[in-house]
Amino acid sequence: MEKNYYVCTGCGLLCDDIEVESEKNIINKVYTACRVGVAHMKEVRGEAGFRVDNAPVDEATAIREAASILKNAKNPLIFGLGTSTDEAQKLAIELARKTDATLDDTSSFCLGPLVEALLQDKIKTCTLDDVRNKADVIIFWGADPSDSHPRHLSKHSYFPRGSEKQRGWEEERTAIAIDVRKSHTAKICGNYFFQIPPEGDAEFIDALIAALSGKLPKTSYNYPPKKILELANILKGAKFGVIFAGLGLIYSLKDMEPVFRLMKALNEKANFQLVPMVGHYNMRGFNENLYAETGYVNRVKFENGTVKHGPEYSVVESLKAKTVDAALIIGSDPLSSLPRSVSKNLLEIPVISIDPCETLTSKHSKVYINTAISGVESGGSATRMDGIKVSFKPVVETARLSDEATLKKIMEAL
Amino acid sequence: MDFGSFLAAPEIKIRIVTYRDIFQDKAMIENRFGEEYRDRSAIIKLDAADLKQLNVKKGDTVILSNSFGRIVVKAEESGYDTPHRGLAYMPNSPWSNMLVSDETGGTGVPKFKDISVTVTSAKGEKVTEFKP
Ligand code: SF4
Repeated sequence: MEKNYYVCTGCGLLCDDIEVESEKNIINKVYTACRVGVAHMKEVRGEAGFRVDNAPVDEATAIREAASILKNAKNPLIFGLGTSTDEAQKLAIELARKTDATLDDTSSFCLGPLVEALLQDKIKTCTLDDVRNKADVIIFWGADPSDSHPRHLSKHSYFPRGSEKQRGWEEERTAIAIDVRKSHTAKICGNYFFQIPPEGDAEFIDALIAALSGKLPKTSYNYPPKKILELANILKGAKFGVIFAGLGLIYSLKDMEPVFRLMKALNEKANFQLVPMVGHYNMRGFNENLYAETGYVNRVKFENGTVKHGPEYSVVESLKAKTVDAALIIGSDPLSSLPRSVSKNLLEIPVISIDPCETLTSKHSKVYINTAISGVESGGSATRMDGIKVSFKPVVETARLSDEATLKKIMEAL
Repeated sequence: MDFGSFLAAPEIKIRIVTYRDIFQDKAMIENRFGEEYRDRSAIIKLDAADLKQLNVKKGDTVILSNSFGRIVVKAEESGYDTPHRGLAYMPNSPWSNMLVSDETGGTGVPKFKDISVTVTSAKGEKVTEFKP
């Protein structure tokens, strides 16, 4: 019997083995997905709608108002897009170019530097399928996929039998967690959990590098050298090692140099790849699409056909310095997810929120357009956290506009 | 107002590390303005000894404040086997983000996972609400 599989867009894993039972455009049952995926696919939807100044309007009015906000702004901010399809992202880049906008996404304050390093071939990487089939040493560094990417360990990184790993985790894989707290993932790693103090990562990396070349590993927080030497020994023996790098690691480093040093040292002794734990289902896609267009993964400002890039064009710095005078937020809720000390400045400028669900940001927007959930109510393509392209079709039909259709209409109205 | 008890309330300085929680994520998807999301977000996991010093029981509310914001959340005991006095854990949410500094050194990256605050008993004050 031929099965009809769907893709879950609940996180960066883009699981492609989801079965659903639906009737009259309502999803009743979701099989195979994790609890986050099930909630995502069965997301309760209120009324479709368009709002201007918190009053319901028709589509044409909302689109016209959005276009006029962008037209009147000198330096609009376009932000979000981690949960938009490639097609919508490409349109947003075009729109940013047309409106001389500042364009940024969440990678700006999370995994952007690592994705950039991968795209520039500065770090060796691999796919999740490689991990499943070959990986013998798996490190979760400042990452807790049991909470952030629930099927990571069961579908790819630890539990499955892979083509070259038929005896599975019991005998053939070692999972290691390096973290500031005993996360759910760290618990699974058992004795291979290495607890370090907050911001202790860079020192731990250098101690580990020392241990890899047989030197005595030292840290200012007196991590037992014997434990680091043991860890170095395991890593040295890896035939196919992989580091899954999470926000815990990124946030504790000033720049990515320690990671580059570690990858170099590991690859002198063994074979190691790195995969960033991208959370939003298409953040990596945004980075790749913008990189292809401009040579930068995020934080750009378009101006008369040229592109500028730098931290001053990041969502955080441009809001903080109040250099942007309007905002188009697509599939993101900065009033919840950014420090309020920064996002409060959004309350002073006209905001257009394009989002499948009501958020604090949508509630405070001048224009709100309630869109289809991509992957559930609209189709398209995206890039999985490991760089694999995935296409998906909608599970149910909706009258709501997709992000892509919305952006197209705004562009036409400009 | 009873200033005596106000002055007497013990106050400690702590560093908060934020993290993600699958149950909280699920609750957010289902209803980000709902009770379950609030109950799973507006919490702080403290070391048992810190709870004791604060004179606060599990489930009581505490005030977390710094120069960026002030929120009221429920205190819980972390249950971690290694002691971590002065360090506490909170799921990442609009609540924790109320306390994150805007100081970035121009890097564009706030310290979401490293927040310094003062904790004190909220004496029954209700958890901070984010109502639309
Ligand atoms: S792991 Fe991620 S992509 Fe897979 S089912 Fe869960 S939420 Fe969906």
